[in-house]
Amino acid sequence: MVAAKKHVAIVKKHPKRFNRHQSDRFKCVDPSWRKPKGIDNRVRRRFKGQAAMPKIGYGSNKKTRHLAPSGHKAFLVHNARDVDLLLMHNQTFAAEISHAVSARKRVEIVAKAKQLGVKVTNGNARIKTES
Amino acid sequence: MATFSSDLIWEITRGNSATLVKRTQAGGVSFSRDQLNLKNKYSRKYEGLVADKAIGVQPGEEGGVVLLTKKADKAHQPASYIQTASIPAKRSTRKTYAAIINSTAGRNYRSDLRSDAVARASAIRKSQKPVKADKPTKVRGKKAKTEA
Repeated sequence: MVAAKKHVAIVKKHPKRFNRHQSDRFKCVDPSWRKPKGIDNRVRRRFKGQAAMPKIGYGSNKKTRHLAPSGHKAFLVHNARDVDLLLMHNQTFAAEISHAVSARKRVEIVAKAKQLGVKVTNGNARIKTES
Repeated sequence: MATFSSDLIWEITRGNSATLVKRTQAGGVSFSRDQLNLKNKYSRKYEGLVADKAIGVQPGEEGGVVLLTKKADKAHQPASYIQTASIPAKRSTRKTYAAIINSTAGRNYRSDLRSDAVARASAIRKSQKPVKADKPTKVRGKKAKTEA
């Protein structure tokens, strides 16, 4: 497996989720983010001590966007043939085996990836180990 | 048969092509399965179907690499436009690269792809080496104590 290219440090400006205002108070209010629209809403008016709202400024640096902590971007593969595409990109892309692929074919994909020096993000999935 | 300009073919096929592999991950990436595409990157420069002249480097059946070039006068006949030349595994890597350059970029044939062709040949030769076995992982914590 080849290590990823060097990149600037990955900074996540707001690692926590943005939860919908008052979703902590009512179970019928889902935590999925909805922008408060009310005329008196204190979160919308950005009062001191209120929850922060998502905005474009929280976006990641373009250079580190979509990067995994290893520095690779993920590329979904369904078979060993798909891994061949990453031959010249093993420093930027890592293979990610699609969820519906059987254990037998996963072995083929992992072997191929190893031959080409491609990282597989979920290479240990569905592999039986003694315990 | 009339031949089409590369730009026209690219404009027509860039959205839909048998060689195109698209993913929505990582902000949307597109790769190409074209054997005349040195970086497997779906772009005007690298796509072999589109260009009059194109270079491909593929692994050989018995090791080594196969150099593919496109015959410019047969650009509109996909079945017969590829010319192959195999470079066996016993040829040293440096001589392999020299052979690729001498038959392509050295003769004013797609000299913009010189370093890409060499890089791909290098990657293929590297992938044909025997794979090193993984180091056994160290057992840690409770398991290590019970084993000792």
